[in-house]
Amino acid sequence: MEVDSENNLQRKQSFYQSTDESFEIQKEMYRGQQYSQIYFARLHLMRTLLYSLLPHWKPHVPVCTVLGLEESKECIIVGTLYKHMKLKPSILDEYSKERSSTPLVKPHNFVHADDQLVLEDESGRVKLRGAMLISSVYVTGIVVALHAKETVGGDFMVEDVLEAGLPHQEELPRNSGEDKYVVFVSGLSVGSSSSDPLQFQLLVDHITGHLGDEKEQSVAAQIVQVVIAGNSVEVPRGLLNGQNLASKDQSRLSEPIKELDILLAQIAASVPVDIMPGPKDPANFSLPQQPLHRCLFPGSAAYNIFRSCTNPHSFELDDVRFLGTSGQNIDDLEKYSEANDKLEFLERTLRWRHLAPTAPNTLGCYPFTDKDPFFIEICPHVYFVGNQDKYETRLIKGSEGQLVRLICIPRFGETGVAVVLNTRNLECHALSFGTQFGT
Amino acid sequence: MASSSTAAGGGNMKGYFRQRKKTGGITKSNSNSKSKKSSSPDHSATLASDIAKPSSLISHASLDLQDDYDGNEEVLRQFDMNMAYGPCLGMSRLDRWDRANALGLNPPKDVERLLRVGKLHSECLWDGRV
Repeated sequence: MEVDSENNLQRKQSFYQSTDESFEIQKEMYRGQQYSQIYFARLHLMRTLLYSLLPHWKPHVPVCTVLGLEESKECIIVGTLYKHMKLKPSILDEYSKERSSTPLVKPHNFVHADDQLVLEDESGRVKLRGAMLISSVYVTGIVVALHAKETVGGDFMVEDVLEAGLPHQEELPRNSGEDKYVVFVSGLSVGSSSSDPLQFQLLVDHITGHLGDEKEQSVAAQIVQVVIAGNSVEVPRGLLNGQNLASKDQSRLSEPIKELDILLAQIAASVPVDIMPGPKDPANFSLPQQPLHRCLFPGSAAYNIFRSCTNPHSFELDDVRFLGTSGQNIDDLEKYSEANDKLEFLERTLRWRHLAPTAPNTLGCYPFTDKDPFFIEICPHVYFVGNQDKYETRLIKGSEGQLVRLICIPRFGETGVAVVLNTRNLECHALSFGTQFGT
Repeated sequence: MASSSTAAGGGNMKGYFRQRKKTGGITKSNSNSKSKKSSSPDHSATLASDIAKPSSLISHASLDLQDDYDGNEEVLRQFDMNMAYGPCLGMSRLDRWDRANALGLNPPKDVERLLRVGKLHSECLWDGRV
């Protein structure tokens, strides 16, 4: 990085490649199919994978299907887990004649001690028992291999579980030892009453190098990519009450997006930006969310380094693989299972090799017929999730030496914290912007 | 096995009223043609029952076999019903064959040949009926 005589700093460059093709649904045609197709694709894909792992796990135990189970005989079966949850809200509860004392206010987490796990494949389903299987860890939709024995009652007493584990990972490239930074931010919530426009402006100024002295600017010059992971805008939904909108209200509706576009254009003028849709953005509801339309960003879309991406988003930067979502998959896991922290949910989805196992059960999803795009084929180096409560990060190791940096990106509108990652060594730190003085 | 011969029902009543039932539903044709064929294809896995068709329903009727239902269609229907290749509803037969092929399930080649020739139903047997 040269410094010119007039202190003009050059920003570092890196080679970007998007690998989002499997998340785009423009080519899909809906033919009235139901979700059984995606479950079949998922089961088959993962069963083939698990069968290949079985010889290393328990080579001498026979493999059979659910219908082929014999009593008191040990065997291995592979199938999709289904968790029967007592507290899970069901549309049929509205129609049941006798209303039990289920509370109308939905609890945040639907886990109950009585949740039952069931294993299912094409031939049938079987109830699972056993202390090995802690039902609060698992959710519906995961494909696992179970070593167990059928009991007298027809249940399956589980002795051991095999998950798919982390997929294969390409080695982290050693590119000349240069520090290159990626900035992650999510939950900007431009237009909401709680977000502070000054905070976002400070972030933009820092990234574009308009803040601080030369030392500060040289740090900013090493930022090669900005990723905005969802919930960038908060549309005033109170205006949408079924009445025709007055023209004054119509312009109020689009103001947050315009404000966001102005700020994004400032960033896009100087550094590549990827923007992903989130649960509150003007994009489609079900996963995979499609890119926000270019016409929403007339100012920013003029720059070709401004990229509107899908959610989930996967890309490569100088051969470092990134994969992440705007938070819907982890938030849904939090409702239907328990863990010590959000990073544990992230780790579990990697070990199950599936981004969103609860889709389509409790998470909206497109009914794919021939593939399951949430299946994680190659292990990313960086795995992020947006719109979380606080910044958390961890480095996890896989059985084949894989190293993954897990990142929980906090909501910027509430916390003023963005995350910066160094692609050379996968180290991570927080960047916080405060606009309160004297607190 | 369903009897395909017209039984002479007791009395003139049955002879008086010509009964010609046009079978629209799928199950009746299935059991009918199954009875006509002595062997079923190798890759079939249907669980269709062989309930004998009540003879009164076809006593003076002709069996409705004009429902685009020949040997080739039977092969395709067996392919539809085979659960090893996944659910059949909501996909065209060729798409389902391609998916089975891509997943390495080795679907039968004659099904592919029949589908690519293109004269037969491209959609599964439940299409439009469910």
